[in-house]
Amino acid sequence: MTAKQRSHQVPPLKSGHLLGIAGLGVDEMNALLDRSSFFADIITSPDQPDSDVGKILQGVTVVNLFFENSTRTRVSFEVAAKKLGASVLNISVSGSSVKKGETLVDTATTLNAMHPDILVVRHHAAGTPLLLSRHVGAAIINAGDGRHEHPTQALLDALTIKRSFGRIAGLKIAICGDIANSRVARSNLYLLGALGADLRFVAPSTLLPADVDKLGVPVFTDLDDGIAGADIIMMLRLQKERMQGREIPSQHEYFNLFGLDSASVDKLAGDAVIMHPGPMNRGVEIASSVADDPERSLITQQVEMGVAARMACLEALRPTGKTDRKGS
Amino acid sequence: MAQLFKHAHLVCPERNISEAGWLAVENGVITASSFEHPEQPDETGFSEIIDCKGQILGPGFVDMRAQSSDPGAEHIETLDSLLTAATSHGITSLAILPSTEPVIDNAAMIDSIQLRAGRYNKGRLYCYGAATKQMAGEQMAELGMMTQAGAIGFSTGNTTISDSQMMRRLMTYAKMFDRPVMHHCEDPALSDAIDMNEGETATRLGLIGQPAIAETIILQRDIALARLTGVHYHASHISAASSVDVIRQAKREGLSITADTAPPYFMLNEISVSGFDSAAKLNPPLRTEDDRLAIIAALLDGTIDAIASDHMPIDPDEKAQPFSLASFGASGLDVLVPMSLKLRQTHDMGWPHLFSLMSYRPAQILGLAGGKLGIGAPADLVMINPDSAYILKSADFKSQSRITPFEGTPCEGKVTGCWVGGKNQFQQ
Repeated sequence: MTAKQRSHQVPPLKSGHLLGIAGLGVDEMNALLDRSSFFADIITSPDQPDSDVGKILQGVTVVNLFFENSTRTRVSFEVAAKKLGASVLNISVSGSSVKKGETLVDTATTLNAMHPDILVVRHHAAGTPLLLSRHVGAAIINAGDGRHEHPTQALLDALTIKRSFGRIAGLKIAICGDIANSRVARSNLYLLGALGADLRFVAPSTLLPADVDKLGVPVFTDLDDGIAGADIIMMLRLQKERMQGREIPSQHEYFNLFGLDSASVDKLAGDAVIMHPGPMNRGVEIASSVADDPERSLITQQVEMGVAARMACLEALRPTGKTDRKGS
Repeated sequence: MAQLFKHAHLVCPERNISEAGWLAVENGVITASSFEHPEQPDETGFSEIIDCKGQILGPGFVDMRAQSSDPGAEHIETLDSLLTAATSHGITSLAILPSTEPVIDNAAMIDSIQLRAGRYNKGRLYCYGAATKQMAGEQMAELGMMTQAGAIGFSTGNTTISDSQMMRRLMTYAKMFDRPVMHHCEDPALSDAIDMNEGETATRLGLIGQPAIAETIILQRDIALARLTGVHYHASHISAASSVDVIRQAKREGLSITADTAPPYFMLNEISVSGFDSAAKLNPPLRTEDDRLAIIAALLDGTIDAIASDHMPIDPDEKAQPFSLASFGASGLDVLVPMSLKLRQTHDMGWPHLFSLMSYRPAQILGLAGGKLGIGAPADLVMINPDSAYILKSADFKSQSRITPFEGTPCEGKVTGCWVGGKNQFQQ
């Protein structure tokens, strides 16, 4: 087991951080996915001894620095880090010094003086992980920055797809919903696109960012057209504040035009599957009958795969003793 | 049922033809005409022969802008009288504004109005959906579901969306449904408490004026947003020379921009207000003579696509007021055709051009099948005696709303027959 595990071990990421999918090479993407799949095997088979896995990050300190509310992502990182034997510290914005007027860089500098090894960062402003990476010695994992990227979500989505279909290349994947405000859509575009998937975006025109067609992905403003022939439909969450008449007239109209219900799903190929990064708005972007369809829904698997994917990312940023990061 | 219209002077704006001929109709659809086969078919094959006696026979008029008082203010006018007034002037399709009470801002309202209008078995009635909920300009209405219910475009009635981001989103969203956004261009900040057009007449009368650029400023912004979003944008009741220039330029650029005006803006100018005549208190206000001439030039060169009635039913009590306190608007359905026909005499406008402004282009803008005499088009037809002369009297109006600034105008040319889907509405 130990030898096999060593041979699988993911090489350190070249940049020393995971700031986005956009900074990864295809070899790195594949290495992370292969390793994630290995971890997935372990965590989905509780009987299998995995004592060596629990030593991978022994003595490593992982800090979850969340400036934006999140339960599932933070818990997922925490579970992943603990499974690898790291010690985990959670810092959320409420009650922290940020509220007292400290700048982000000051907070980072303060944290840095405590010498954490890996900082998992979520922030509402795009580019925050990059900014932090310039001020701390720790490796940074972007756990979602504004509308920019959410690389671990894309990796867990790719892992879920790969384990379900055995491949990614050539699959027709429709990403539907609030593309304009979605970091998940952007990260998935970069990752699944690089791995050869046939992607398309489906959204009301008011929820498409400017010049989105220049990202090289076909865009549809009609749900049935957009998901026709798709192997995978990835629904995105629509924030409540977008349904109050500025972007979308109402929840009623959104579900009517862009919500995934049994009628739309019935038109799909028999083996098409449904994904959602969560948390879901039932009756807004997805009907419960679809979300809970055991034949098609991979939504629960996605959560499970999240832990495995994050284990691989944490492992890929483990201290190697030869980093030249600032502060080290 | 097969009908033959013989001895007609056919006018087809689509093909720019105006010539003697015949037209055959079967089950409400045009099936043949002298445009395709010069030889008139044997009359025995028809269940009805209509002898047009050399009168003009063209595609029924499409009025793309009328206000209905029903629902909400049926004491002023009902849907029934609105449709009766329309067909009595050969207006076979009528598009009503969403500014009713309740506002037409959801699919159920459209269903209900169309269901009721259908029962009268008169002209075709279409609804614009309100662009924003309650026409408040703050939240988009359910444009998609209204489209499914039959909305032919999205309108703001007589209000202007001044929030540019709202307008941009609206255009972006509307484009998905391939329906035009119709806007009333009036900068609210330049229109506070106005009575009429700004200028010498307003100054002499001591009334508060609105500069013509109040229209043009919003129009220019809208055109810039239409360029950004690619939507089909339609500027309603254009009144100012400066607006005409802007539309002409936008069309030259190839943008999907269309516009309409109404008879007051090519027939009258601000002098009509001189006697504090509240019937001439309109929104947009009557402008200067230069503006009026620019509107005519725009009708002649195609810058303005359509003439609409801009029908605004008004309670007479609301007009029997000092000018400043009187309501804006006038009845339009009974003057649309007589006043537009005057362009033939004053500017030598040919029949096909007139029918283009009143039938073909409005039908095209709204995506309707009518407005032409081609095979397969609905048999929505109007017959006109071009030589009939009379004096326009509001007492003769078919509309229940009879406020007009055109009282006593001599007219030439009268509608003598009207068919909707082959069904005769009246014939003299």
